[in-house]
Amino acid sequence: MRTSVVGTGVAVLTLGWAAQVAGQGLVFDARRVGMGGLALGRSSSLVRYNVAYRAVPANSDRRGEPKVTIPIPLGLIQFLHDHPNITKDPAFNPDSTGFNPILVVNTLLNLPIYYEVKQAPTPTNDVIFGIGRDSLRANLGAAAQIVPEDQFGIGGSSRPLDPGIGIRGVRLSVMGWLHDEVGFQLGDNLLGFLRDSQPASANTAYTVNGDGILEGGLAPSIAYAGRIAGDSTMGFYVGAAAHYYLGIAYARTSGVGGFRTGNPILGAPVRPTITAVTDYSKAGNALGHGVGGDVGVAWVSGPIELGVGVNDIGATLTWSDTRRDTLLYDTTSNALRTTPGPNHFTTKTKLPVSYIANVAYSVGLTTLGADVLNAGRGTTIHVGGEQRVGLFSLRGGVARDQRKRIEFGWGGGLRFAAIGFDVGFWTHTNSISNERGITMATSLSIY
Amino acid sequence: MRGMGRWIACLAVAAATGCGQGHVIFNVDALSFLRPSGDDNIPYDLPGGFTADSSVAQFFALPGGLGKSTINTVSITAAAAIVNATGGGNMVFDVFFSKKQAGLFTGTPYVSAASGPVSGVDSVPLLPPTTVSPGDTVFNSDSVWVGIRAHLTSNPPLLPHMTGRLRLTELSVHIVINDKIF
Repeated sequence: MRTSVVGTGVAVLTLGWAAQVAGQGLVFDARRVGMGGLALGRSSSLVRYNVAYRAVPANSDRRGEPKVTIPIPLGLIQFLHDHPNITKDPAFNPDSTGFNPILVVNTLLNLPIYYEVKQAPTPTNDVIFGIGRDSLRANLGAAAQIVPEDQFGIGGSSRPLDPGIGIRGVRLSVMGWLHDEVGFQLGDNLLGFLRDSQPASANTAYTVNGDGILEGGLAPSIAYAGRIAGDSTMGFYVGAAAHYYLGIAYARTSGVGGFRTGNPILGAPVRPTITAVTDYSKAGNALGHGVGGDVGVAWVSGPIELGVGVNDIGATLTWSDTRRDTLLYDTTSNALRTTPGPNHFTTKTKLPVSYIANVAYSVGLTTLGADVLNAGRGTTIHVGGEQRVGLFSLRGGVARDQRKRIEFGWGGGLRFAAIGFDVGFWTHTNSISNERGITMATSLSIY
Repeated sequence: MRGMGRWIACLAVAAATGCGQGHVIFNVDALSFLRPSGDDNIPYDLPGGFTADSSVAQFFALPGGLGKSTINTVSITAAAAIVNATGGGNMVFDVFFSKKQAGLFTGTPYVSAASGPVSGVDSVPLLPPTTVSPGDTVFNSDSVWVGIRAHLTSNPPLLPHMTGRLRLTELSVHIVINDKIF
């Protein structure tokens, strides 16, 4: 029981704080890090979220955009130095007295790719439990502030592959798509107990509400992107794509899990309370079907570039061969029981609409830019710029992550002909802490 | 009491995850677990001129992680009162903790207090000093046995018997563990 409870707890906290990771994104380019996560030029995110950008020519000289970026993972060296044999490291072994869940969670949330210049400090206060037969109270002190009050989770939609052929702006492809979301919300009782140090009550459920969806499939697509006005220095570009979504499998679950106190609180057995309803259509069942589309526009006028792209508009899938199961913790037998429900019925799922809006301004050796991106679960904003001075580049930026926290980026680069070395710093709140850490990213660029 | 370990293990996820290098502290009102079964009262009835022990023992399930934790300190605070009805004599009040029931009442008690002479209808408080045990290994376990013992020596003659009860009024355990509860 201990292991499962610990595992669940750590997983929940990991997911909770992973929302922040998603907020800033996993970036391998020190240039982007130095600009607070801002993507300038023809980065994959612009093309991914704005179909019109397929037709906008790259202008690598002006934007300082490299052809290839190779990350230098100094963080791995740091991590391997600190933990030379992770399989035998007690800090990562739940069966060891030296197991450190904070380190495990923080390692998951901050993958050790880049060098952590400043670790986000975790609360170091004492945590006190008052325990009696009919009383239970926890005082987490300053650590209570990291108990999430709002719904937390991770997810979004992605397109891991999109092979196709294009002729004169028209592109035929078969796109692989994936939609995943996991969300949690601490119940009021549990939140009050952990965060506000409220005493526990008898016969009361302390629960976490959770919901999640995972679906994926293929989508034969036809797209067009082209310039409809102007020329290569000043032009207006539009793009549109239509997708016929074929869903291979999906599962959607909603449930509540936790414990119910006895009466008296600790004088009677504590009963787990778990209920969940899951709708699913396994691979091999009838495919899900749906239609949706993307649209995008981009305007380039000399030093100014603007773009807006919206994806998966109206993408609702109909699954005709769905089954529903109900999961329930049976307090009589103390076992989880799955009760099969209706089968072969029809359900619908909806892909989240994602969008991006970006602006870039280049004059001389200066490039400034901003973007707003919503990949299906929360909006992130990046504002940044780059100043090139001879062989050197200076960069800076500000970002607002999905937690609506402001993060800062700064850095620089050195370029010799076609090779550049970049270093970037940015603050993050990805750790189990309400204070920021600072990461240093390094990468090589080939122009 | 057996359910407590599961409950606290769950709650301590947040504690262990949040406490960093701090300590996790458990303040356990052990008396509250003894009271419903009447184990907070130890009756006695001893003919004059004899020596005998009267005791109770109870099993406690501890938070699961404690078995793998490093105990920093354990403090035991206890208080009791002799409510004597007839006869006279002396009583020594002892509190024991042990990982196993066997041998619970052997060794040195964690807290101990002597009543001094008691006679007739009388009520005598017993206030042993709080004991502090650094790095106590008894609590490096998923469970612990608690034993309360009244060691009686009654005054002759044979009659009247020394009768009454030992009433436990406080038994609290303050456990400070280092941060690695899991």
